[in-house]
Amino acid sequence: MEVIFNKVNKTFISSFTRKKVRAVADLNLSVKTGEILGIVGPNGAGKSTLLKMLMGFIRHDSGTIFIGEKSPSDPEARLQIGYLPENPYYYDHLSAEDLMVFSATTSGMAKQDIKHRIDTLLKTMNLEHARKRRLRTYSKGMMQRAGICFALVHDPDLIIFDEPMSGLDPLGRKLVVDMVLDLKNKGKTILFCSHILNDVERLCDRMAIMDKGYLKKILSRKELMAKLDVQMAKADGIETNILEKIFLDTIGREADYE
Amino acid sequence: MNKITALAVLTFKEGIRDRALAGIFIIALIMLFATILFTGLFGHELGKVLVDLNLSTIAFAGLLLTFFVNINLMAKDIDKRTIYCVLSKPISRTQYILGKYLGLMLIVFVALFFLLVFSAGIMYFVKSLYANIYFKDFSWSCYFQAYLYEMLMFAVLNSVVIFFSSISSSSFLTLLFSLATYITGQTIEEVMEFFKKETLGKQMSEMNQWIVDIAQYVFPNFSAFDIKTLASHGKLMPFSHTAALLSYSVVYTILLLFLASLIFNKREIN
Repeated sequence: MEVIFNKVNKTFISSFTRKKVRAVADLNLSVKTGEILGIVGPNGAGKSTLLKMLMGFIRHDSGTIFIGEKSPSDPEARLQIGYLPENPYYYDHLSAEDLMVFSATTSGMAKQDIKHRIDTLLKTMNLEHARKRRLRTYSKGMMQRAGICFALVHDPDLIIFDEPMSGLDPLGRKLVVDMVLDLKNKGKTILFCSHILNDVERLCDRMAIMDKGYLKKILSRKELMAKLDVQMAKADGIETNILEKIFLDTIGREADYE
Repeated sequence: MNKITALAVLTFKEGIRDRALAGIFIIALIMLFATILFTGLFGHELGKVLVDLNLSTIAFAGLLLTFFVNINLMAKDIDKRTIYCVLSKPISRTQYILGKYLGLMLIVFVALFFLLVFSAGIMYFVKSLYANIYFKDFSWSCYFQAYLYEMLMFAVLNSVVIFFSSISSSSFLTLLFSLATYITGQTIEEVMEFFKKETLGKQMSEMNQWIVDIAQYVFPNFSAFDIKTLASHGKLMPFSHTAALLSYSVVYTILLLFLASLIFNKREIN
């Protein structure tokens, strides 16, 4: 499933002071079917705003957004989307299983397939032991994994993750990395935001760098690898984190850090 | 419809497992059991007092449920962003409003139905303790009719909660607005009567007339749903009155849910 952002703009206006804050400016971006696109950027770069516009939670002021052939304002566009919000928070008194049943039912899954799918996914995400436990008793990492199960239960074609590795321990991170690679092998389209450059570097086919609402740079894995070779040679065989260097160069280094 | 039902079930499960609901239920049960002790103090009026106390307890529990459990369930969705998990599914904003409303009503219906069963059991028990003479005005039909009226009142009140939740992102403001609407709705008829008496023989000032007219049309008349006193005297409301009140509740609820849906469709969930 392809995603297209065409000249998209979004400005927030404070309700009391009427102060305008430009969150996304003139953004052109496309994610091709079967591709993993990672969006990186400092806090306030507009990454989450971009994903929220795609999900239809907020509306873009101008430009067009397409999910396949549908607009985000059409609820049916979300039929084939799995979304994990940043710092997911779900209903305290429900269990992971309750949530997954809701997700599967509303996404139109056949009743007879739901149980098997839930069992498989909970086992993969190592949550089987806590399937009936209330979510308020979950640790942050467990909540994150429950969120991933919620997003993936209906086997969507487009997966949108906002900071999927946030709060996960190394084991949890490995689980997610393996899952993302598995989803890629199945031909799913994945769009995710992250602060963890290593994960983006490791998983993505293309990386988009955003800053202050603008899309500053798009790099393919090939381009990144080419730069890595040059860098390695220069550094006399010592591997450097090339994406971090490109990222800092693009957004203007630490001097601008607010 | 499947999506609305799924959301209603989700809301119901979340609400019914809330400890606040258990607390309200226990308080209501204690109050119902207390009527066994208190009614003996009212001499020949005990039948009337028993009906009044039982129906008041059910109404009180319903109000606590609506103002504390249901408002919290609505506001938490926005406050804590649990709404993202619902709206990330192919659910429209209108379906969200309807699903939430049905879930809230299901909580009120189930909780108050159990209280009704308990209260009926208690009344049956108290009736067996005292002579029939004390219950000459007692009628089960009146009792159940008064309960039905209370349920209709909660149907409207919960649509008021949904309406204010669609405007406000704070549970406190939703509580404040809903409570103000409830109090206004309960007293609007008295205020009208007061104005009529005050201006007897005189022309009511245009401004006052205008305010009263607007308030009368805007705020639901909650006092019309309160027939506890009539029920305790064994007076059954005619079917036409019940049908009229049912229509009033349905129209008011649909109107409020429609407005809530219109506003919520425009709202940005950030």
